[in-house]
Amino acid sequence: MTLVIDGLRKRFGEVLALDGVSFAVHPGEVFGFLGANGAGKTTTMRIVLGLMKADEGSVSWNGEPARSWPRRTWGYMPEERGLYLRMPVIDQLVHFAALYGVPRRKAREEALAWLERFRIADLADRRAETLSKGNQQKVQYVATMLQDPDVLLMDEPFVGLDPVNVALLKSAFLELRDAGKTLVFSTHQLEQAEALCDSVAIIDHGRIVASGSTRDVRRSTGRQAVRIATSSDDGLDWLAALPECTVTRRGRDYTELRVAAGLDPQVILRGALDRGEEVLRFEVTDPSLEDVFVERVGALDPGEEATLSAVGARA
Amino acid sequence: MSTASNIATIARREYLVRVRTRSFVLGTALLVIGVLVIAFLPLIVRQLDRVNPTKIAVVASEPGLAQTAAGTLSGVLNAPTGTGIPDPGAPPDFVISVVPDVAAGRRAVVDGTYGALLSLERQASGQLAFTLYTNEPSTGRTAALTRQAATAMAVADRLDTLGVKAADQTALFAPAEFAVTWPDPAKTDPTRDVAGAMGQDMLAFGMTILIFMIVIMYGNWIAMSVVEEKSSRVMEVVLNAATPLQLLAGKVFGVGAVACTQYAAVVLGGGAALLLQGTVAQLVLGTGGGAVDLPQGLTPALLLAFGVYGLLGFLLYATLFAAAGSLVSRQEDVNAAVMPLTLLSTAGYMIGVYAAMGLIDIRAGWVVGLTMVPFLAPFMMLGRISIGAALPWEIVLSLVLLVAMLAVALWVAARIYAVGVLLYGSRPGARVVWRLLREGM
Repeated sequence: MTLVIDGLRKRFGEVLALDGVSFAVHPGEVFGFLGANGAGKTTTMRIVLGLMKADEGSVSWNGEPARSWPRRTWGYMPEERGLYLRMPVIDQLVHFAALYGVPRRKAREEALAWLERFRIADLADRRAETLSKGNQQKVQYVATMLQDPDVLLMDEPFVGLDPVNVALLKSAFLELRDAGKTLVFSTHQLEQAEALCDSVAIIDHGRIVASGSTRDVRRSTGRQAVRIATSSDDGLDWLAALPECTVTRRGRDYTELRVAAGLDPQVILRGALDRGEEVLRFEVTDPSLEDVFVERVGALDPGEEATLSAVGARA
Repeated sequence: MSTASNIATIARREYLVRVRTRSFVLGTALLVIGVLVIAFLPLIVRQLDRVNPTKIAVVASEPGLAQTAAGTLSGVLNAPTGTGIPDPGAPPDFVISVVPDVAAGRRAVVDGTYGALLSLERQASGQLAFTLYTNEPSTGRTAALTRQAATAMAVADRLDTLGVKAADQTALFAPAEFAVTWPDPAKTDPTRDVAGAMGQDMLAFGMTILIFMIVIMYGNWIAMSVVEEKSSRVMEVVLNAATPLQLLAGKVFGVGAVACTQYAAVVLGGGAALLLQGTVAQLVLGTGGGAVDLPQGLTPALLLAFGVYGLLGFLLYATLFAAAGSLVSRQEDVNAAVMPLTLLSTAGYMIGVYAAMGLIDIRAGWVVGLTMVPFLAPFMMLGRISIGAALPWEIVLSLVLLVAMLAVALWVAARIYAVGVLLYGSRPGARVVWRLLREGM
C-alpha cells in the first residue's frame, strides 16, 4: 500500500511546472510536501488525483495505476474552501457523501456526529459562507471523513487557522494515520511539517531537492546545529574565528551555531571550558527543516502570491 | 459511483438549490400572475367597456337627418369586428344620441358628457359634409369608425337622391362572399379563416419567444453557476468525486428541470385560466358572459413540435453555455464568454419572429435553408410548422441535424469543460481553446 509518484513532468506553455518529480509515501504515514508558492505542490496533487494529466511519468497506489482505483480511494481538501458557499452545511455534506455512494440517511447521521465532535453542530443549517475560515475547514474535513478515503491529500490545511483549530486538526490527522490511512499535505509552514510529518519531500521549481524520513532530510546536509549558553555574555566571541562555525541565532537564552561536517561539535564545548567559561547549556542537534530548506531552496518569501494554480496565466 | 447516480445526485442539487431561492419563487409567482392577467384580459376589457360605453352626440342641419344618421352610426360603430369575442347579450360599446345644436353639443364634449360630437351639414352642392368634434386622436378608433359610417351615410344620401328605395339599399350594402384559401389545390385542411391564421401566427410567435427566453435565461444561469463553482474552488472537490461529463450533464439536467418546473407552473396557470374563463365570465358579466374558445391552431402536433424543438434547443445551448462559463473564472467575464452564443440565438430568434409575423417571406429559399441550421432551427421551425409551410422531410432533417449537432456539442463542451474548470487567471483566447480541444488536459 504505497503511493509512488514516478518522474512526473508537466509543461504549461513556456513554463516547465514539474520536472521529473518522484517520491514515495508509505502507508500509515503523514507525508509533508514542502515548497514555496509556485514550486509545483498543487500541480503534483492535481495529477495524483487525476484532475490533470501529466505529460510524462506515472502515479501508482499499491502497485496499480492510481486511476484504476475507485474514486472513493482518494480524498482531497483544496487550499481554498472547497464548499458551496450558499448551501447549508449539512446539505452539502450529504451531497458530497452521496457522490461517493454513501446513502443519504446514513451520511446525514454521520455528518451530524462529526459536526458535534468538532463542536460546530449548531452550524449545521447555516450557509457555508457565514462560517469562519476555521469552521469551513472543519466542514471540509468532515466531508472527507464521510468519504472515508485511503489516501488523503490536503493543500495547505493549516493556512489561516487559529492555534486551537490547528491543534484540533492535527490530532484528527494523527488519529487517521493510526487507523492506517495515508496522509499527504502540502505546506510552507515548516514547523508544522517538522512536528507532524514522518516523511517529507522538498520541491523547488518543479524538482524534488530532498526527500525521505524527516530525520534523514534534516541530516541530509551533513551539518549539525549546536546550542550553547555560557555564564558571561561575550564568552563566545572566539567562535567567530572558527571557519567551520556560523552563528545562526544569537539569543538571550542560548546561541545557535551551524557546524560544518568536518568539525566535531565537542571541539566547541572543549574550547569554551578551556577558556574558563561556565557552560550552562550544550546541545548537539540536527538542523531544523527550515535550515535545510533555506540551504536547499533559499529563503521563503511569505509575500509571494500563489501562481501555480493559474494554468491560464502560465499558458 | 456509477455515472447515472452521480448525474442524478448533481442534477438534484442543482434543482433543489435553485427552486428553494426566494428569487425563483417570486419570479415564478410573477410569471403566473402575468399569465393570468393576459388570460383574463379580454374579460377585464369587456368589463371596463360595459361600465363605460362611449357616448356620441349627433347634430344635423335638417330635421330627420340626425335620426337617420344616429341609426347608421350606431350600426357601424357597434358592428361585431370579427376578432373580438361574440357577445350578443352585452350592452353596446357606443351610445348615440341626438342633440339640438352644435354649440351646446361642443360644450357637452368639452365637459365630458359626450366622447364626441358628429355634425352633418347639407352643402350648397347638395352633398353632405361631416365634422367630428372630439378630444380623442384623429386617427383613433372612434374617428376611424365614424369616417366609415360617414361614407356609408353619404352614399345612402346620394342613392336617395337617385331614387333608390331603402329596401334596395340594404341589398346593395350586403357584404360579398370572401374566402382565403391555400394556393396548393392538394391542400385542403385545416380550413383557413382570417382569425384562425392570425391565432396560429401569434401562437408560433409566442412559443418562439418562450424558447428564446428559456435558452438565454437558463443558459446564462448555467454559465454563472459554473463560474461560481470555479471561484469557490468547490469544483476541485466535486471533480474528485465525479467526472467533468457527469458534472456537465447533471448541471444541464438540473437546470433544465428548473425550467420545466417554472414553465409547468405557467402552463398550468394559463390552462386553468382558459378553462375557467367561461365560469368567471358568467360570474362577472352575468348570463350574457358567453363561452370562450381555446386559441385556434393549438394542435397537438404544434405542441409536440414546441416541446421537441424547445428541449433540443435548450440542451444544445445549455451544454455550450456551460462550456463557455468554464473558460472564465470571474462573474464579470461571463457575459463576454457567452457572447457568441447570445448573438447566435438572437439572430435565429429575430429571423424566426420576423418570418412568423410575415415581415419576411417564410417560404423564401434562404429562410428554409437557415431553418436547417441546428442553432437556428429551434427558433425558426415553429413559425413554418404552424402555418403548414414546413414539409415533413424538412422537419425530420432539421431534427436529425439538431440531434447530431447536440452530440458534437456535448463532446466539445465536455472537452472544454474538463480543462476549463481548472483554468484560472486571464480569459483564454481562441487559440488556447483550440489547443485544449486538440490536446485535452
